[in-house]
Amino acid sequence: MRTSRTTLARRAVAASASAVIALGALAACGSEGDGEDEDTQNAEDFSFECPEREDGERAPDEAANEEQPFIFGTPGVPTSLDPVLASDGETFRVTRQVFDTLLDHDCTDMVPGLAESYEQNDEGTEWTFHLREGVTFHDGVELDGEAVCANFDRWNNFTGGYQSPSNTYYWSNFFRGFAESDPEMGVEGESIYDGCEADGLTATIRISEYTANFPGAFSMATTAIVSPGSLEQLTDDDMDAPDSPLPEYSQEAGVLAGTGPYKYVEWDHSENAVTLERYDDYWGDPAGVKTIIFRQIGDGNALRQALEAGDIHGYDLVSPADVQPLIDAGFQVPTRGVFNILYLSYNQVSGTLGDHAIREALSYAVDRERIVNSVLPPGGSVATQFMPPSLEGWSEDVVQYEHDPERATELLADAGAEDLELEFCYPTDVSRPYMPNPKDIFDIIAQNLEDAGVTVEATPITWVDYIDATNQGECELYLLGWTGDFNEAYNFLGTWFQTETTEWGFDNPEIFDGLAEAASEPDADVRAEHWIELNEMIMEELPGLPISSSPPSIAFAPEVYPPDVSPLTQEDFSELYFAAAE
Amino acid sequence: MTLAKIEKLDRLVEAGVEARTAEGGSLWHQSLRRMRRSPMAITGAAIVGLFLLIAILGPWIAPHSSTAQEWGDEVFLNRNIFPGPRAENWFGLDHLGRDMFSRMVVGARQTLLVGVVATLIGFAAGAVVGGVAAASGIFGGRWGQRIESVIMRSVDVALAIPMLLLALSIAAMLGPSLTTVMVAVGVAQIPIFARLLRGSMLAQAHSDYVMAAISLGVPKSRIVISHIFPNSLGPVIVQATLVLATAIIEAAALSYLGLGNPDPGSAEWGTMLADAQRFLAGAPQLAIYPAVGIIITALGFTLLGEAMRESLDPRLRREQ
Repeated sequence: MRTSRTTLARRAVAASASAVIALGALAACGSEGDGEDEDTQNAEDFSFECPEREDGERAPDEAANEEQPFIFGTPGVPTSLDPVLASDGETFRVTRQVFDTLLDHDCTDMVPGLAESYEQNDEGTEWTFHLREGVTFHDGVELDGEAVCANFDRWNNFTGGYQSPSNTYYWSNFFRGFAESDPEMGVEGESIYDGCEADGLTATIRISEYTANFPGAFSMATTAIVSPGSLEQLTDDDMDAPDSPLPEYSQEAGVLAGTGPYKYVEWDHSENAVTLERYDDYWGDPAGVKTIIFRQIGDGNALRQALEAGDIHGYDLVSPADVQPLIDAGFQVPTRGVFNILYLSYNQVSGTLGDHAIREALSYAVDRERIVNSVLPPGGSVATQFMPPSLEGWSEDVVQYEHDPERATELLADAGAEDLELEFCYPTDVSRPYMPNPKDIFDIIAQNLEDAGVTVEATPITWVDYIDATNQGECELYLLGWTGDFNEAYNFLGTWFQTETTEWGFDNPEIFDGLAEAASEPDADVRAEHWIELNEMIMEELPGLPISSSPPSIAFAPEVYPPDVSPLTQEDFSELYFAAAE
Repeated sequence: MTLAKIEKLDRLVEAGVEARTAEGGSLWHQSLRRMRRSPMAITGAAIVGLFLLIAILGPWIAPHSSTAQEWGDEVFLNRNIFPGPRAENWFGLDHLGRDMFSRMVVGARQTLLVGVVATLIGFAAGAVVGGVAAASGIFGGRWGQRIESVIMRSVDVALAIPMLLLALSIAAMLGPSLTTVMVAVGVAQIPIFARLLRGSMLAQAHSDYVMAAISLGVPKSRIVISHIFPNSLGPVIVQATLVLATAIIEAAALSYLGLGNPDPGSAEWGTMLADAQRFLAGAPQLAIYPAVGIIITALGFTLLGEAMRESLDPRLRREQ
């Protein structure tokens, strides 16, 4: 979503023969897509999704790994320890270390998670997962099909405030609703979840209608499997209203047990720190460091200073200007792959931007090259459509809007909009994976528009209120973006263009219907054709201007052997360890 | 801290009274005479004069536009490449490719504007509060004294709150804008002016000319407005110079915290400093210019104000 959604790129160490059959096909699709991109216009300046690691393995410092906690500085605090009640990257970064999902990611490829393999029927409505043997939860309970079904049944049977999209955004996004959807909670759709059947180590999940969110949804941090032992202690009836406070169990360690490499020890709310400890009976490779602490530390400057002072051993979303100084000072800043989109929305709710010629003029006015070259982290590229080029369904033939200020002025004059005035919103107090410094990007675009003769009314809004304001159509122009959750075009396009919304304010049934049709197509190749066509239609309609795809940076102290970085911003912290001095 | 603040104010009041009774010649004549010999006052006046000149003539002096990103293509802030001082751009370019020197010059006007307006707001409101308190204390009888007590205790409470904290709370309530900064800084100065004016007026109330006016039957309101008030202004004006220095620093602080002018294009020293902070590691010069600007200007006003205060202060005078 707007926040970095997390799934972790656990290395497919344990990929067994059976998994390769089922999942190999998917992985192949992913890499094939990347190969094709090499011929396209943007490929030469576009860095591959998952750059090769340049550093070799290092000898671990055993004593430090056991005694010294690894402290990771975060720009925000998690919402909940139960991932199903969250939709932000700050939460998933933590819950990913504690819980596992049925499927997982390596780079952007789907790999086995708790399920060693899976099958689906041709219609894509029945998904059978063959679970790993010998997986135990942190509370000692063994993983089986029943445990998986108990989780899915629980989510589908949520009532009251649990249904609110501000709590369970992803469930209602993937499954459209609940067993008994409550319109008062903001969910009107009917659930497409059609039951779950367990048989020993297999679990079969049925959905009444296929959408392209599957199987991606099974890799989503929110569908992580929680111990049935934990579920027994929950009643799930303590939230009556959409804005009720989150249940107590999700705010303190103790109840929730997962299958991941780490277990919860403590969430110190006064220190804004969550402490995790290695789970010794983890099914995969044991975690490198015994104790990990995620601690919130103000803004980017404070984080950088904390890293330099040795108070923390790593932090995420490094400001692009800090990357080189950090590297020069001996810190490690591994390059992530690129899997996001930053865009400028032309909201048509107020009507001014309903004129296609004006939207076109604005698009020619914006100098996206300059933003990519001077503001965004090196390795980014100008976006031509609403998804990164590494995805299946990216089109080479969309309408391009090269920077051409004269054409912009002409178009505005032709449209009779010489004295156009627009309210332009940008978020403050935030750095997003796709948008490291919103104000700089705003400054440049605002100047571009002013040069074309548009009067820009600058409207800074704090991040906390920003999503609401932009969703409700309060801004004519605004900056926002999206980090992909999994390798599927629907995860990008479907996020924005399913239906008429106040977020965009345009009504183009052709796009909405085309999207619905594409989303219900189970054959990935046919679907890709649809996406290509849709991308072209969308860039013709021009609901907004895609600006860039750029790699967010993450930094680690020199003594740390960092984990593989993920284009989905889903790092597996069990991979990292303190390395012995050389 | 607060006590020290109050003590200083009270001494200023005393100074105003003594200056009147001693030696002869007006307060201003005496202090001017003394200040001409003080290097502190001269330095302060020179800085303030230069600053005023730049602030007033700013847009005509600036060689380039302060808002146009003319050299935007030459700056790469993701790699810390900021073309440094050069013939075309004396102070180099900022993070969006704007001429730093022009921004400093144009920014001076904003800074001055905020400082002066904020001080005027504080002065005007403080005069009303202090004036009402003093007037009701002198002529209001028992009820008047109660009103005075209530007002002055509230003023003391307000005086006890750190000024920046008060300004910050007000700015947070009003939302970010230039007006907000002026109001916030101005309101935070009200208690100072109120206490000073009330003290000064009370001191005047016992002077002979007031007695004379009362015995002649001049209406009380007229005594307050046309006799006591104008004669009590001396110390208040001295204080205003000092307040101007604080106002400039505080306005910069509020802008720095993002509560200033929301139009990120406009040049303002505090905002420039805030912008530069992100590039401290790679391009410290971006922070140095506005920081030095703020420091020197505040120093100028402080030197001038302190020199004025010292030239008035009876205790210091005796030592001389």
